[in-house]
Amino acid sequence: MTPPPAESVAAMIRPTPLPPDSPTNRDVMRVFMERPGLGWLLLVGICLGGLGGGATVWIYQIYKGLGIAGYSHPVFWGAYIVTFVFWVGIAHAGTLISAILYLFRAKWRNAINRSAEAMTIFAVFTAQLFLGIHVGRIWKAYFILPYPNQRALWVNFKSPLLWDTFAISTYTLTSLIFLYVGLIPDLAIARDRTTGWRKALYGALSLGWQGSSRQWKAHNRTTLHLSGLATPLVLSVHSVVSWDFAMSIVPTWHSTIFAPYFVAGAIFSGFAMVLTVMIPVRRIFGLEHIITNYHFENMTRFLLLTSTIVAYAYGVEFFIAWYSGVEPEQTSFYMRAFGKYWLASWIMMVCNGVFPQLFWFKKLRTHIPTIFVISTLINIGMWFERYVIIIEGLSNEYDPAVWGVYTPNLYELMIVAGSFSFFSILFLIFLKLFPVIPISEVKELIIHDRAHAHGSHAEVH
Amino acid sequence: MPTLVGIFDTPGGVAAAVTRLKGRGFDKLEVYSPAPFDEIEQAVDPKPSKVRLFTLAGGLTGVVTGYALTIWMSLNWPIVIGGKPYASIPPYTVIAFELTILFGGIFTLLGLLAVGRLPKVKLDPGYSARFSAEEFGVVVEVSDRDVAEVDGLLRANAAKEVSLVAA
Repeated sequence: MTPPPAESVAAMIRPTPLPPDSPTNRDVMRVFMERPGLGWLLLVGICLGGLGGGATVWIYQIYKGLGIAGYSHPVFWGAYIVTFVFWVGIAHAGTLISAILYLFRAKWRNAINRSAEAMTIFAVFTAQLFLGIHVGRIWKAYFILPYPNQRALWVNFKSPLLWDTFAISTYTLTSLIFLYVGLIPDLAIARDRTTGWRKALYGALSLGWQGSSRQWKAHNRTTLHLSGLATPLVLSVHSVVSWDFAMSIVPTWHSTIFAPYFVAGAIFSGFAMVLTVMIPVRRIFGLEHIITNYHFENMTRFLLLTSTIVAYAYGVEFFIAWYSGVEPEQTSFYMRAFGKYWLASWIMMVCNGVFPQLFWFKKLRTHIPTIFVISTLINIGMWFERYVIIIEGLSNEYDPAVWGVYTPNLYELMIVAGSFSFFSILFLIFLKLFPVIPISEVKELIIHDRAHAHGSHAEVH
Repeated sequence: MPTLVGIFDTPGGVAAAVTRLKGRGFDKLEVYSPAPFDEIEQAVDPKPSKVRLFTLAGGLTGVVTGYALTIWMSLNWPIVIGGKPYASIPPYTVIAFELTILFGGIFTLLGLLAVGRLPKVKLDPGYSARFSAEEFGVVVEVSDRDVAEVDGLLRANAAKEVSLVAA
């Protein structure tokens, strides 16, 4: 047997050189480069089941008509609109964290902003599904857009529903741009360290980013300006959604507090959703050293603040109803607390107004299982808040002769469950395809801290 | 022309080296870094980025489009409501506001692409995957007779390695 040439022996001993790397790159890339585990596959399986159920019902509803939903006179905005508003609300955390906290230079946002932005996009997509589901005749959904047509007929720009179309579309596109701009440098990191289809994907999406000083400068400016644009946008979107209600004359809806009340509620529910999702993600992927308890504690402070605002709004609504002396308003609010929907109302008030107040205690703000449980309760409570506002408001209008009761039926609940599955599937795919932590931003902090540590070190010597 | 790459560990080192190089008239340089750092930006080019012009143009286009669209369409298909003017500004402000943000955002993205010279099909020869790890690179194009001087300048300012790239 002839010995192999010395060179090939050396090649066998010496491993192929790995691309240069940093601990942060490795930690974050592990999340999306590792083969999906059993838990991930199981979750995707469950969600596919839920999505399949919801999609089947939707197809059946398109064939059969909106009559299969549980609408009954006088309630014709049911679980679909409730869930639409719920998802639009969830979508508010991402832009708040990325834009407003960026402008306030709150550095702690770095660990969570990417996942929150991704949730924003997916929540808006999910919300938009409901516009299609709710309109019934989906093949005429494009009537809402001002498109040139032979009848020279234009849309009515005085309608809040049209403002909503513009607000939600703008929000979708702007959030997408925000997420993508933040992703570009991280995609370049992935491009430099992957092979095969992933390299092709990240290479194309990173647009040849190299981190040159010219590019970073433009990137910094872009982030700043997008934050400046997104900050008023995020406040406007849920205000516009609230005007869908407040511009009508339904008792309990026709109120000037609606815009700030909805915006605070949206931020509240969005932060709760980020916590509900990120606590398990952090645990499963071992990201405790990047997303620390400090980050979670800061988010619970936001929950505490927004919970207090929302609870205050609940109180003010009741007070103004009594103080106004308007009988339909008073009656409707009496029915809210003690009428047919009392259970939904009290779930809303306790989950949103009472439980989050536990975060006054530092011990509970840093106790992860407590945070998880309370944030989940908030999600439930916020769904019921929209349920109470919409359904109770429509059920008890001016004339007792037209009062009615609505309960969502199985079809509607399957579509609601399908929407949760849709959101979860998109997020699970995102986890396995893109960096869920903004690598460059975390590295910026690490290198900055290191440089300063070196500096002070040198001074001592 | 030969191209020299100096590898650095800290943004401070990069900034000092860039300042020296520019002081000696070596202007054909490019800095690669894993994250943005203010000291590098100040050393390389302290002028404010032109992206802001794009945002301004986008925002103005948006607000004009928003009002023009709504007002023209209401006049083109009048909806008669009790003798009120066909075009009413307060509700249209919502549309104009949203379009200001939308166009502003899209133009800002275009600004990033234009100012950052993206997309780029082929990466620069001086670029290396080390710069998307945690190291910094200063790439300088110099004439043959200056190679030794630039090499010395880079090393004197905390470059831990200096190498020649085949252009």
